[in-house]
Amino acid sequence: MGAVTYPDDRVVSFINENMVPLRIQYDAQPFAGDFNIKWTPTVITLDFEGNEHHRTIGFLAPEEFIPSLILGMAKVYFDADKFDHALASLGTILSDYPNSDSAPEAIYIKGVSLYKSTDDPQPLKEAYEKLRDEYPKSEWTKRAYPYRLL
Amino acid sequence: MEEKITWETIMVEALARAKSENKTVLLDFFNPN
Repeated sequence: MGAVTYPDDRVVSFINENMVPLRIQYDAQPFAGDFNIKWTPTVITLDFEGNEHHRTIGFLAPEEFIPSLILGMAKVYFDADKFDHALASLGTILSDYPNSDSAPEAIYIKGVSLYKSTDDPQPLKEAYEKLRDEYPKSEWTKRAYPYRLL
Repeated sequence: MEEKITWETIMVEALARAKSENKTVLLDFFNPN
């Protein structure tokens, strides 16, 4: 990450504009214990109270790292029931990074966000259908499988 | 001039900045070796 991803101009711009970057050595206590760190790199998205909302382990290239960070931001909003903000972030993943590994999860969370904000189950079914058609091998397609019946 | 990431290194300072700037925190646990 330090040699390839963090020096990338796109990554630098995204992080400086959208996040507060915090770097802690993997064995520094109490944080290594609090966050159960067993391997590096481990990258975690926190809200301003220090609560974890998203985690990745292992190297991610810039074209995967940026959508993963956006997904983390979306999950912070989702977990706070701020669905409009979550949907905006998820929409960015789907429009700008549709081929990233974060895209299928973004579709799933988008469907859930729309359902929770409207009480209409149709977006859950639409999420499954989109996952089935565009990401048939994704684990998120399997997780959405029951929604085909809605 | 080349731009770089300016890392925070203190948790409480990063969280305070995240609150004041209405941002989320990217926490990177790294191995310096």
